[in-house]
Parts: sequence; C-alpha cells; structure tokens
Amino acid sequence: MSSTSAACPFTGAQASTGTAPAAYASTANAVREAPIADWVRIEDMYRDPFPIYQRLRAEAPLHWVPAVNRYMVTSYAACHEIEQDEARFSANERNSLMKRSMGHSMLRKDNPEHQVDRDSYGATLRPGTIKKHWNGIFEQNNRKYLGELLAKGPGSDFVWDYAAPYTAENLRLICGFHNATQQDMQRWSQTMIDGTGNYADDPKVWAKAAASSAEVDAAIDEMLPYLAKNPDHSLLSNLASMPIPLEAIRANLKMTIGGGLNEPRDVLSTTVWALLENPEQLQAVRHDPALFPKAFEESVRWVAPIGMYPRETTQELVLEGVRLPAGARLGVVLGAANRDPEVFEDPETFNIFREKKPHLAFGGGVHFCAGTWIARAQVAQVALPAVFENLPNLRLDPSSGSVDAGWVFRGMTKMPVLWDA
Amino acid sequence: MPIITFEQPNGTATDVEVAEGGNIMRAAVANGIAGIVGECGGQAMCATCHVYVHPEDAAALPEPGEDEDEMLDCTTAERTGTSRLGCQVVLGGALQSIRVAVPSEQV
Repeated sequence: MSSTSAACPFTGAQASTGTAPAAYASTANAVREAPIADWVRIEDMYRDPFPIYQRLRAEAPLHWVPAVNRYMVTSYAACHEIEQDEARFSANERNSLMKRSMGHSMLRKDNPEHQVDRDSYGATLRPGTIKKHWNGIFEQNNRKYLGELLAKGPGSDFVWDYAAPYTAENLRLICGFHNATQQDMQRWSQTMIDGTGNYADDPKVWAKAAASSAEVDAAIDEMLPYLAKNPDHSLLSNLASMPIPLEAIRANLKMTIGGGLNEPRDVLSTTVWALLENPEQLQAVRHDPALFPKAFEESVRWVAPIGMYPRETTQELVLEGVRLPAGARLGVVLGAANRDPEVFEDPETFNIFREKKPHLAFGGGVHFCAGTWIARAQVAQVALPAVFENLPNLRLDPSSGSVDAGWVFRGMTKMPVLWDA
Repeated sequence: MPIITFEQPNGTATDVEVAEGGNIMRAAVANGIAGIVGECGGQAMCATCHVYVHPEDAAALPEPGEDEDEMLDCTTAERTGTSRLGCQVVLGGALQSIRVAVPSEQV
C-alpha cells in the first residue's frame, strides 16, 4: 500500500526512499491559530515596549492580545505584507476611535476614495515645493525657536522648549492656519490624539477632543474663503479651490494636525538623545554633516514615532502561517517590525553605520506617509545641523534624567539639556 | 507579453514578463527582483524604485512628469540622464521590451 505517499503532479514520481527528520515533518504548510498573549500589559508597553516585542516576535509573527483587544502583528514580513495589500487588509476600520476623534480622514479610507483625498493635498508636501518654498520657512522658524532655547539657557527642556514649538509652527504654516498659534496646534494635536487612543472611553478625554475638533472646524471655516482670495502654498489654500466636501477637508486636516506635529517633534528629540548617548557616532556626524540624514533614518527605524496603526481583514486568510478570521482587527506594530532580527542585524542597537535596509517607519503602500519629505527636510536638513552647531558641547543634564515613553506613539517626554553658554 | 530585463550591479540579468499596461516597479516587486523596493506602492512619493534605463531604450519613453522629475532628485544613488522611477514607466503598446540597470543603492 502506498496510500500515504502522494505522487508529484509534475513528474509522477513518488518519494520512495528517505524521510524528513521528525522535527521538520509536516510543518511546511501547517496553518496555526494565533497564540494568545495574555501576559502583555499596556502599562508595560507604555514604559518600554521593546522587550515585549522581542518575546512576541520570537514566538510568532502575530498574537491575539486581550489587553489591546486586537491581533498585534510584530514580524517585519507580516507587517510588510499587510501594508502592500489593501484588498485583504482594509484601513477602513469599524468602530474606529480615530474616526470618532477626528472624523473619517484619508488614513482610514481604502481606494478609490482614499486617492481622491490624497490627491487633494496636491504638491504642498512634495520635494519640489519643499525646496522652493518650505525650506526657507523652516530655517526661519528654526532660528526663532533655537534662539528662544538659547535665551532660556542650559537646563531647558529640549522637547518642550524647542522641538515642540518649532515643529508646531512649521505645521501651522504648512496647513495654512494663519488665524491660530503654534500653541493652538500643540493643544489640538495632543487632545485629538488622546481621543484616538481613548480605549478606556474616558468622557473627559472625549470632551477635550471634541472641543479641539470644534475649534479646528471654526478655524478652517474662517481660513478657506480668505485663502481662496489670497492663495499661498498651504494645504488649506490648495483645498480652497477644489471640489472636496467640507467634511473630508476637516477630517484630513485633523489627521494632519495629529500626524504632522508629534512625529517630527519626537524624531528630532529621539535622534539628538540617541546621538548624545553614543558619543562616537555624534563625533562622526559632527565631522560629516552629510551623516545627519543617516542618523534620522536610523532613529525612525530604532524608535518609530508611530509604533502601531490599525487594519482590518476583509476575508478569512492566512498571514505568515497564522489563520485570521474575516473582520479581524489588527495592530500593525511598526515599532516591532523595525527591530526584527530576520531583517536587521543587532536590531536593538542605534547604529547610523548599519547596513542600509528599508525600514517601515513611514508605512508603505498607498498610505505611505504623505509628510515623509517634510519630516526629512525640517528635522534632518534644517534642525539637526543647527542644533549641534549652535549649542556647544550639548549634553544631557546629569542631574535631571530624560524620559522616553509610549508604544502607539513613542518619543521623549522629558529631556533637560546643558551646553556651554 | 512585454519583457523587462533587469541588470544587477554584479552583472547578472533577469528577464521578467509583464502584462500590457504594467509598470517596471510592480513587475520587479512581484518577481522578487533585488534592489527595487517600491515603498509607496507607485505614487511617485518615495524614490525607492529608481532604475537606469539603457540608453538605446531611453529615447522611446515619454519625458518624466513633474512629480517624477522632482522625486528623481531624491534618489539615494546618483541621478543620470536616463534615471527613471520604475513605477512611472509603463510597458505595452509600442514599448514591448526595455533594459534597465538596478542601482547599487536604493535606500
């Protein structure tokens, strides 16, 4: 009897001799259920998610995580597969907290609807406009806010006394909110992001997010007719002349306020922190400013400012050998994918000289970050070289420690610095 | 079907068939061609599908559009006169074959 050995459909041959080692038998096409990671706690991830990601990734490419109420996808290959396949992995998530906090923006739409919104942003965020228009404005803003940091003196907080106001002012002008301040931008951004992450359904958080949302609506209503008559290079100016529903304009601007401020702020602070913690790399960058873009890319790989974003399966499917039901809610954990040892050697280490590989910090596929080049320009080209040039012997304040925190969004929350004044 | 020949920096070449209307980036990613990333999925936003078109084939292509042109200034490897973004070069019609060199660095 040979009923258990199948003939090859191409050659008709049957394997008659030799057997696979027991440990390797029948694993090739095995589909397994997602393991459950009931040991993962949100407060631990908020403090430091990376040891948790290491343990998860070593065990399986994805897990059901009860504390987060979704599957967390932590391997590079699985995250990459998701972001390149919007037919099976929809961005249009049901019961989305982001939709409730900010409205239904392009970030939560699939094509073709997504592309209409994305195209409505025109050339504002593209490299040509950055070179011709925004770089000069970024340099001007950088002089102002670096000047304020210098005036405040050593012991100031790098994040709150410089990185936050600098990136907020840049974003204010990119959006076209000539009727608001950088402080408004910071408040709007933080309160609406807090709504997006309000898994605890705290009514106080919703109230603050709703108040900011209403302020943004009013500011947009005021700016659109003004910018239609007095056009500039801003997003709102571009939108003022387009047949885009007001509801979409509002949602997309709120998404941009949430996604365009904290992220460059956090990359800027994290990169400076990492360089100060690695003096030999800082030395290299000081001698060759062309290395600042490398430091930026390594920083977003090492600590992706947006550590996780949601997707939802449109059908039952198998992802990297793990079965998922239709309608499964996924967290695509870029923060873990970017430290996958299958792709990056010694992944937990900040190393600007590592072999270059594509990281996933800006996402991929149709939702690839629209602000990628704006971030590179304002942080790597303008801010980083100026920071190290104007703050001699910049160092972390040994008497007051820095704090890095977060997992869905991660960055420095406290970073007192000293320099030779 | 149209054919794309990818030449790698080490001299090896691979022929890939592509459907009418398909672009170089998609064909490369679908066939696992090393050195073509295509991060942004074909929106001319990331400059990670940079290729050098063989000079004899370059003249047959329409000029790069404005979006492609500005993004070609952001490639990691040097931009030359025949640099293109793979996602913006569509095969089919009169263009039934093309030879492209993959740059040594894409990110």
